[in-house]
Amino acid sequence: MNKTLIVIALLIAQFTFSQDFKFGKVSKAELEEKQHPIEPNANAAILYKNQDISFVYEQGAGFEQENLIHERIKIYNKDGYDYATKRIKLYNESLTTKDNLKGLKAYTYTLEKGKIVKTKLKSDAIFDEENNKYWKTTKLTMPNIQDGCIVEFKYIVKSTLLSIDDILFQKAIPINKFDFKVATPEYYKYKAMSNLKATYIPEFTVDKMYKKVMFKYTEAANSNKAVTRGTYGGEASRSETYTNEIDVAFNVITSNLENIPALKEEILVDNLSNYQARLKMELESINYPNQPVKRYASSWDEVAKTIYKSDDFGEQLSKNNYFKKDLDAILQGLNTPEEKIITIFNYVKSKVKWNNLYGYYTDLGVSKAYKEGSGNVADINLMLVAMLRHSGVEANPVLVSTKSNGIPLTATKKGFNYVIAAIELPEGIVLLDASSTYATANILPKHILNWQGRMIREDNSSTWVSLQPQQISKQISFLNATISEDLSITGKVREQLTSHLALSHRQEFNNKKDEVLIRDIEEGKGDLVVSGLEVKAAKQLLKPILISYEYNLQNGIEEIADKLYFSSLLFFTPEENLFKQETREYPIDFSYPVSQKYVINIKIPEGYEIESFPENEKFLFNGNDGVFTYLLNHKDNLLQITTNLDINKTIILPQDYLEFKKFFDLVVKKQTEQIVLKKM
Amino acid sequence: MISRQFLLIFFFIISVFSIQSQDENLLKYKTIPFALKENANAVIRSEIIHFEIKDYDQMVYTNKRIVTILNKEGDSKQSAFQHYDKNTSIKRLEARIYNAQGEEIKKIKEKDFLDVSAVSGGTLYSDNRVKYLKYTPTSYPYTIKFETEVVYKSTAFLYGWRPIEGFYASTENAEYKITNLSDAKVRIQTLNFESYNINKKSEYHFIAENLKAIKSESYSPSFKTYAPYLKATLTDFNMEGVRGVNNNWQDFGKWMYDELITGTEALPQTVKDEIRQKTALATSDREKAKIVYAYMQNKTRYISVQVGIGGWKPMLAKDVDRLGYGDCKALTNYTKSLLTEVGVVSYYTVVHGDYDIIDIDKDFSSLQGNHVILSIPDEEDYVWLECTSQTSPFAYNANFTDDRDVLVVTPEGGKIVHTKVYTADENTTENKAKIQLEATGDITAQVEIISKGARYSHHYYLENELEKDQKLHYKESFNTVNNLEILSVTFNNNKEDIVFKEKLDVKAKKYASKLGERILLKPNVFIMEEYVPPRYKNRKLPFQISRGKVNISTFEIELPNTLQVEALQDSVTISNKFGDYHFSIIQKDENTLLFNRKFKLKKGDYTKEEYKAFRDFLLLVAKHDKSKIVLKSN
Repeated sequence: MNKTLIVIALLIAQFTFSQDFKFGKVSKAELEEKQHPIEPNANAAILYKNQDISFVYEQGAGFEQENLIHERIKIYNKDGYDYATKRIKLYNESLTTKDNLKGLKAYTYTLEKGKIVKTKLKSDAIFDEENNKYWKTTKLTMPNIQDGCIVEFKYIVKSTLLSIDDILFQKAIPINKFDFKVATPEYYKYKAMSNLKATYIPEFTVDKMYKKVMFKYTEAANSNKAVTRGTYGGEASRSETYTNEIDVAFNVITSNLENIPALKEEILVDNLSNYQARLKMELESINYPNQPVKRYASSWDEVAKTIYKSDDFGEQLSKNNYFKKDLDAILQGLNTPEEKIITIFNYVKSKVKWNNLYGYYTDLGVSKAYKEGSGNVADINLMLVAMLRHSGVEANPVLVSTKSNGIPLTATKKGFNYVIAAIELPEGIVLLDASSTYATANILPKHILNWQGRMIREDNSSTWVSLQPQQISKQISFLNATISEDLSITGKVREQLTSHLALSHRQEFNNKKDEVLIRDIEEGKGDLVVSGLEVKAAKQLLKPILISYEYNLQNGIEEIADKLYFSSLLFFTPEENLFKQETREYPIDFSYPVSQKYVINIKIPEGYEIESFPENEKFLFNGNDGVFTYLLNHKDNLLQITTNLDINKTIILPQDYLEFKKFFDLVVKKQTEQIVLKKM
Repeated sequence: MISRQFLLIFFFIISVFSIQSQDENLLKYKTIPFALKENANAVIRSEIIHFEIKDYDQMVYTNKRIVTILNKEGDSKQSAFQHYDKNTSIKRLEARIYNAQGEEIKKIKEKDFLDVSAVSGGTLYSDNRVKYLKYTPTSYPYTIKFETEVVYKSTAFLYGWRPIEGFYASTENAEYKITNLSDAKVRIQTLNFESYNINKKSEYHFIAENLKAIKSESYSPSFKTYAPYLKATLTDFNMEGVRGVNNNWQDFGKWMYDELITGTEALPQTVKDEIRQKTALATSDREKAKIVYAYMQNKTRYISVQVGIGGWKPMLAKDVDRLGYGDCKALTNYTKSLLTEVGVVSYYTVVHGDYDIIDIDKDFSSLQGNHVILSIPDEEDYVWLECTSQTSPFAYNANFTDDRDVLVVTPEGGKIVHTKVYTADENTTENKAKIQLEATGDITAQVEIISKGARYSHHYYLENELEKDQKLHYKESFNTVNNLEILSVTFNNNKEDIVFKEKLDVKAKKYASKLGERILLKPNVFIMEEYVPPRYKNRKLPFQISRGKVNISTFEIELPNTLQVEALQDSVTISNKFGDYHFSIIQKDENTLLFNRKFKLKKGDYTKEEYKAFRDFLLLVAKHDKSKIVLKSN
């Protein structure tokens, strides 16, 4: 470390020690600060945050959760003004199952003529909005916001629910100091897990403390209230109660952090929150004295079991009365498992449509969904499993986490939000998602191609299944071109798309008219005119899609001093390298392996001969993770160019990004190289 | 920036409603006339809208609507929803779903509609709410019958009528009727009815039949300019307890001034003293206004809160001063109060803010617009101030409120004025560059970009971007230069003259491609290519270029000694009614080439027949922009 760095480090240390983080004790030095000392680009910074989650015993109601938040935020410039507005989401299901906002106080601090001026947030700038049946939001925006000002909030969210929201340790702006504490009573066992994929990982201290509590509890189960937001449910019970003063042990997790870097945004990331520093607290069990332990989850196996036991999951699988008659009629005469699988899969797809809701628990319940013709993912896919089982096919549900839900890293129920069906065949596992119209066996929609899912068998045992597509999705395009005397190019294109490329084509174009696809082909390709478009097998999901059309291209060739110049892929030539960033923080996610092949046949016009053409070449990225080949042959007046681009790896890590960008630069450069013809 | 009334209008555009029990045939798919299926994602089978005006402060609105949705794209035309607030009571709300054969498959009662806040992302709070139906179709086509009956106490705003709801929707039968039982007079205005099959049954009763779907096309002017549209308003109305008159813009404007503005302008004494002191030395009204504008920009920020009279009354000026924020109405009114204090006359001005040019209809006074700005009379003309921006230069209103009719609210009443037009010759971008080419094909360059007029706001925001994003911006702007490296960027934002300058040092490896002995170079390096809109086999709509612009590029290209010119392109000059294009490359001396390009696009309205010529012009420009020169090794 050189001297300047030491000095800066000392200054920063000095700076943090001199601050007072009691509410209201904003200093002149803090107000005078013009930019963040470590991240000068920051528009705002959290100077201090304190979050304290505790459980307070309320007579007659049991333990209630109190989440205290105190934040002091420095706003450097106008782009940071958004941090003067706060939206606090509150659960609001019923009088007994809800969150309450308490003790809100907030001030803006500004420096006017060298003096600190405090402006209070008044009730006329606080708004309550009911979002829907379950949620409301308290919105507030601070008065007197100026460049350089500081806003400070303090409030408590009191909740009758036991589920603890994820604690976020990283924001889009830097956090200078963060004091965190969560204390949970011994009766509630939470599993705490830090996000290990984050670029910043906080350190935690685990401890125990004791507190006297005037305790009034019942003999039987306490679960007379919903434990968490609409998922666990609960059963009623009635028993004798008694009161006692007890030393209750609390499990305490604390963290005192400094200089947490801002979370940086980037394109093509599967889900940014996968990389955000956070602590998840999952309720594992409730264990009151003299009562049986109520388990929620502790291992993936437990999670799977807990979910399976629920009425909205396991029981839904065992129902078959609602479809029995219809299905038996349809299955009549079918013998092989393959026939049955295809028939049932298509039947479910046609019978019940997805209502755009995720979930591994049914929304309406399978029989109602069957009757009404729509349902959530679980309604549809649990029905699929039940029907397959009924037909004698061994099928099982697979719990899945969508990309937006993040990768299931830690054993929690929140780790999943989706369910699909799996069939174990000797040749391997077949995954099915009947909620997606165009999905087929093992070709799942992109939003669930997220690492692995947990398959639960009928005997309640569970195991991981990979969701990563093994099959390579292919695009093969054949293009014939004839150059006429006026230098226009005409010809025919035949294109084949398989697997996921076919799926995404069907999703995008199957409901649309030909002219939409024509416009998509012509877009950005100058004066390309497409005619005679034919799309085959758009609805035969097991076949590749075949697209063919004729084209005419007026300005595809440039004539300079009697020579003709054109790039060998003609209108398929890429204009630019999509990867422009110089570095990358998070991996690139391609979802599935892809192979893209062009075969171009060009007929040279009368009176011309080849003067020069690009050399044959092959580029590799990271062994065989990326392969590109360029091959040109010519015979008489015929030119044949074949290019092949294979991306075999679906995740490109940040440390490999520069190599990958270079590989793509070479590919684009090669594909734009020119062929030169001269007059004979 | 968008007011609540605008949201109502907006939702109305994508919706609309109907009455009485109809022929069962309308519930069946197969009875749709063939011509109505063409280009349609949904067919409005029948829609009966009825307003019954009981008094100046009470009206009943009913709608019975039957719509057949043909495919997934048409789902948005379900339009089964009803907005409401504390002055609205919903008496009836019901929907039924039918399959293709017209058999009922589902019935949805009022309590089963989702009830949510009707705010958009940009608004912090509004007390307007909406009940809507979220139905997942199990197959297509399907039909929805939707019925609603609503009683309004506020009568300032009457839904108009769009016999054709929007793109890709046809109408089999639609009816609009106003029954007026009150003393208040109803005024209506119809637009473009003559070109469509619409019959007038009586003064306030219209029936439309068999209107075909309209397909959206690039560059077309706003839908209202060619589709049928009816506007309606009451001459004597109630807006949340405040009575008003609206016979014309003059008295409607007067009402706005008296009821919405008057009494909101008082400022604390300290602020009055401060602003007087700050402007004490200013010698002209313009100079004072500039000081006041800067003062307001520094002190406030934009936060949208829509409460108070229908979302139309501005917050008190003294509250804006205390809180340091407000929406467009509040910030405009605050600025106006400050100007009044220093003796400068200014007017609260209602406008339809949008990148597209949308007028306040000068011939029909009613609640229109979605935004408010401030106008200051300046000799024969006006200065227009956008009060919701903290960074906009003084008197700059391009791209959002320019070139359109607006309502200026004066103490004497309202009047319609046209805002500043930014002409093609004002909207310039100049790209200058010195480019050094090496024998390897690598280039280094010093680039300068100067933008003015409407182009200014397409560039000046860059100043506040992160360095990483600035670099990405240039890589995307000059996307045909692969391997572009941005070495340095500096900006000069001259807010006084509204000129933004960008200076870049860049390099790109292997920009020019080598072909054996030769090097192929595209001299048009640092220009964003012109977008060529899609081809239409048979265009149906006219088109519009809403703002003109000029782009001038001069590049000096320095060649290495080892290369000499083999072939240069001939210069090109094209001139037509859409614009001008000039391209030339000349050899200045042994080692220097001079590249000049000028592209001018003229503002204008054109017929559909002219579209092909316009597209051909842009194609030709794109072709020449891509042309290359050939250099040869010595």
